[in-house]
Amino acid sequence: MTGPMQRGLRARAVRKTYRSLTRRHEVLRGVDLDLAPGEVVGLIGPNGAGKTTLMSCLLGLLHIDGGAITVDGLKNDRIEVRRLCGFLPERMNFDRGVTGRAFLRYMARLAGVGRGEVGGRAQAIMERLAIDDAADEPLRQYSRGMLQRIGLCQALIHRPEFVFLDEPTSGLDPNGVLLVRDLITEQKNGGAAVLLNSHQLSEVEKVCDRVVFLHGGVIARAETLRHVDRIVISIRLLDGSFDAAEVERIAGAAPGGNVVIATVETERDVADMVRRLAAAGAGVVEVRRHVTDLEGIFRGTA
Amino acid sequence: MNATVIAETIRRHLTNVFFITYLIFLLMVAAAVSMFQSAGTLWPALVSLLAVVAGAGLIGPEFSSGTLQLIVSKPVRRATYLLSRFAGVIVVVTLAAAAAFLTESGLRFVRDAPLPWNELNAKLVNTIAGAMLIAALLALLGSLTRAWFNVAIYFALQIALSISMAILGLLRARGTWNDPLLERAIAAVDQTLFPEAAGGMDPEWLLRVGATAAVALVLACLAFQRREVPYGAD
Repeated sequence: MTGPMQRGLRARAVRKTYRSLTRRHEVLRGVDLDLAPGEVVGLIGPNGAGKTTLMSCLLGLLHIDGGAITVDGLKNDRIEVRRLCGFLPERMNFDRGVTGRAFLRYMARLAGVGRGEVGGRAQAIMERLAIDDAADEPLRQYSRGMLQRIGLCQALIHRPEFVFLDEPTSGLDPNGVLLVRDLITEQKNGGAAVLLNSHQLSEVEKVCDRVVFLHGGVIARAETLRHVDRIVISIRLLDGSFDAAEVERIAGAAPGGNVVIATVETERDVADMVRRLAAAGAGVVEVRRHVTDLEGIFRGTA
Repeated sequence: MNATVIAETIRRHLTNVFFITYLIFLLMVAAAVSMFQSAGTLWPALVSLLAVVAGAGLIGPEFSSGTLQLIVSKPVRRATYLLSRFAGVIVVVTLAAAAAFLTESGLRFVRDAPLPWNELNAKLVNTIAGAMLIAALLALLGSLTRAWFNVAIYFALQIALSISMAILGLLRARGTWNDPLLERAIAAVDQTLFPEAAGGMDPEWLLRVGATAAVALVLACLAFQRREVPYGAD
């Protein structure tokens, strides 16, 4: 008898050590990570923290020395698991003589897309990533940003359930950055789980539901940026217009200075809280969704 | 075997300027040697050289360029990928050998020159079998190393075996040292890995070459299966 299948990616106590004749470097020292369907998780940390190593281990490109990694209950080195995964490396490389379309068709076939579907899917995703004009140009004529786009196409063409993106906006122009942001949101809304490795904290903040901060080979901190069941808001009040005790009673949290961070369940609750604060005489200057200060966390933890 | 990988390997060669240039040169040589008395000279060596170049590119350079990381993240068994790449290389080398064979035999026929079919057929078959062994050995070395180190090790090994045999022969001739067992062992390794082409159609030679190639491929698949493929180019 087998238990119920665990959906999502699950990494437990993952350890990885690089060994050479003269050196032994433990890069991952017991990493736990969960990635659920429909969730976007950002992987952040300083250079050398082990982010790339962790992603390589999750994808089965590197063998782990300890711990376990499963995807939908299956070991991550299984062929069935790779069928579920899409991967964009930071620097994609391939035979530069091949056209973008031919490259994409090859990657799609390797990913298991049926012969009859390949052409249509390749065209559709190239159009989505606004690279269809260059579809029949050889890759050697592609700019860094175009290579990044075609790389994204190959990562997504087989409609993976788990998407691993390493610096997906690197080399992209502002339009490309917005496009990637939309694509990540589309993947999430479609039920895919996305792991995003990026140094661009502002991008991570915009698209991720959670971030894990990798430092010294362990998850030093994990933060939820977007809750599915509640809304965290930041309310700025007019100086001298409010009674702190009264604000605490209404908002359920004491103000820090003239700002109170409150947690509610629905948008209707937000409107209700603002109305009650105003009725208590507090001047509400600004209400915004509260976003965790990733830069602050980065500075504080790194 | 994966037909997509085989087709891509063939395409990559047939659209390569170096390969096309080399093929034209090979055909020119085959045309020139059709005027020689003995059949099938020179072009088999050039086909073997082509097998070295094509076989060297099987895995190692893909590993270093970062291409392999993309490939192994796809749902294709590594052994399947390696064997399919090997098959693609063999198809390409066979095409080149067949083109040279047809050029020589065709020109001999047109000029009404002697056309020793048996000799030419044997050259073709032996050349293709030899090319298979070369590509298999390079696949094995490529699955253990990166970049083009496989071809460097291949030639270094060949040279080292030749030098060892020469030194042992010299020592034996001078009477300073005599170890027939060691000499025989080195000669056996040399003949197994780098066999001299058979004079004619020799089933035993073909079997030996085929068996060595098969063992090399099995070892290559095992090594490649276990190999870590960290991403990012060299």
